[in-house]
Amino acid sequence: MKKMNEQQMDHLLSQYVDGRLSEIEVQKVESFLALDTSAQQRVKELRRLKDLLTSKQKLAPDIGFWNRFAAALEEQKKDEHSLLPFPRKFVPAITIIVAAVVVVVGTLVIQNRMQFIQYFSEKSQAVREVYERNVLQGQLLPLFSKVDKDRALQFSLFGTLALDDKSKTELRVDQQSKKGYRIEVGKDSKNKAKPMTFDHFLAEVKPTSGQKHLIDSLLELTGRRIESSVLIGENNTMAIAPDLPNLNRMMVTNIAACLEPYQRVQFERLLEANDAPYTVTAQSVPARKGDRIFQNIPQSPRDNRFFIITPDTMMYSQLHIDFDSLRRHMEENVVMFELRREAMLKRMIAREFQHAPRNVPWPQPVQSFGNEEFFSVEINVPTEEIEQQQMRVIIQPRIRKQILQTATPNHSIQERAWKDTASEGLTR
Amino acid sequence: MALPLPGAGWSSKDKPYQIGVRARSFVPSFTKTNDASSMTNDHILPKPSVDVLRKMSDEALITAFQSGDHDVYRFLVERHQERIRNLLFSIFHDRDFIDDLAQEVFIKAYQALPRFRFEASFYTWLYRIAVNKSRDELRKKKLRRFFSFQTLDEGIEHELNMRLSVPPEDRDTQELVALGLQSLPEKFRTAVVLKDIDGLSYEEIAEVMQCELGTVKSRISRARSMLRKALKPLLEEV
Repeated sequence: MKKMNEQQMDHLLSQYVDGRLSEIEVQKVESFLALDTSAQQRVKELRRLKDLLTSKQKLAPDIGFWNRFAAALEEQKKDEHSLLPFPRKFVPAITIIVAAVVVVVGTLVIQNRMQFIQYFSEKSQAVREVYERNVLQGQLLPLFSKVDKDRALQFSLFGTLALDDKSKTELRVDQQSKKGYRIEVGKDSKNKAKPMTFDHFLAEVKPTSGQKHLIDSLLELTGRRIESSVLIGENNTMAIAPDLPNLNRMMVTNIAACLEPYQRVQFERLLEANDAPYTVTAQSVPARKGDRIFQNIPQSPRDNRFFIITPDTMMYSQLHIDFDSLRRHMEENVVMFELRREAMLKRMIAREFQHAPRNVPWPQPVQSFGNEEFFSVEINVPTEEIEQQQMRVIIQPRIRKQILQTATPNHSIQERAWKDTASEGLTR
Repeated sequence: MALPLPGAGWSSKDKPYQIGVRARSFVPSFTKTNDASSMTNDHILPKPSVDVLRKMSDEALITAFQSGDHDVYRFLVERHQERIRNLLFSIFHDRDFIDDLAQEVFIKAYQALPRFRFEASFYTWLYRIAVNKSRDELRKKKLRRFFSFQTLDEGIEHELNMRLSVPPEDRDTQELVALGLQSLPEKFRTAVVLKDIDGLSYEEIAEVMQCELGTVKSRISRARSMLRKALKPLLEEV
């Protein structure tokens, strides 16, 4: 036998032990073993090893194996069933079909990309046109536009705002109701406030140049807030920002807060002389700086939410309107918008008013009612909603003589009472 | 027309079922008749009893399974679970671990059985699944050891040497053989387990491990050589 290395020897002897060698090979190995004692020892060890492995202890059959396996298999089937909406055997076929569809659709899209681009452009154009038709072209318009400083001051001090100089229709925010605020849009009433201009205010209160700029900014902000707080639409729809009733009180508070104590006395005299619905207290508090005042004033209606009132329904919902572009659009077509708004308002006030559902899903119970001459919304809010402690200048509703004379003891949400009051005002 | 006796024609001594002819007899709605025009409910063959099914060949059971009677898989599992569990136990030497692994092997086989082509015997096919599964598991273990910076092989060799250093009468031969197997690389370990513990032929091992016959011989001789060196004190006792 030719000389072998150890690995070759192991290989040969392993085959020999397993009986895998031919008769001639066996004879050769045995003649070699007869001469080599170390090889004999190796064969001996291999046989011993084989015996040990063969006699290795076996595990007994597991009687419960099937039951456990069946449960595991069931679980597996459930998992597969929940993952695949079709039998598992269809996976390859469905994969191929889906891939083919993706390729075909992808190819079609690439080949006809210009048509697709045109289609989506037309779609977006259609959406833009709908928006322009509904919002920009007057389907939904701000009731008030171009609210200047004088009108903003008038609203802040007295809670009333005429639609324009000629119109008798005005917005009235009345805080005298014990249950909350009342917003009325209607013809002139008995509580019409005296006209107030910014120049008159300056002459009476005599603010410094800095205070004047501050109040000027406040009134500008008030004007913009009024413009975006009351919207009127086709089909006798009206949208009112829920924080509108607080707006005038908030502005009076801020105007008072930026005045020095001696100016505040003048301001209170002005309010009293004009029978304003508010009175200034805590007059000794020093004037506040502009940045502290402005940081407490919200710039737009809260979360873009409005009370949307139609003849039959009332909801509290988001209404996304780009007021800046709306204003620009209205400035470009002033006459057309004015005519449209006038017509909408007439239709709304002149209609036979129906009661809307009493409560909307919001913390503030809201009611709307009216007659042929006016439209009124009452919003019940906590009396001290404005953070007056933070402002430190206290503005309180003034008890006015007219109200004391005319208001019924239970002046609240009774439809009859409101109708009577309004009718009384209109007949005078 | 007399119904054939339950189990008649299903003997495992016979040739495996002709696919699509005899297999139908396992499905109650199918009829077993040579005359297709006389197919009536009278000729519906009753399902074989459990005893008959238990005696049926692997091929017959697989044919029945492929014809839609998945219940027969139970008899295949019961027949082969012991061998598969022992194979996995020899490779991993971890009683708790192998039960889950054996379940996975049989689930894999269940899913693949509809595609079984009778080109190999069922148990070598099942062994192949088990070996592939254990290879995957060993790779995972190796990866886990790598990322946890453990040197398990060295630990096994150290333990083996410790156990071999005690007096021969205190040695646990079974434990030593198991540790010796654990110290082998996976492909050598599997080859020697299949040959010397499970008693498969070289050709069957080549089929199970999907490699050449020469490779199998080489792996077995290398494995034995390594084991002989590792267990030398034990082998010299006799």
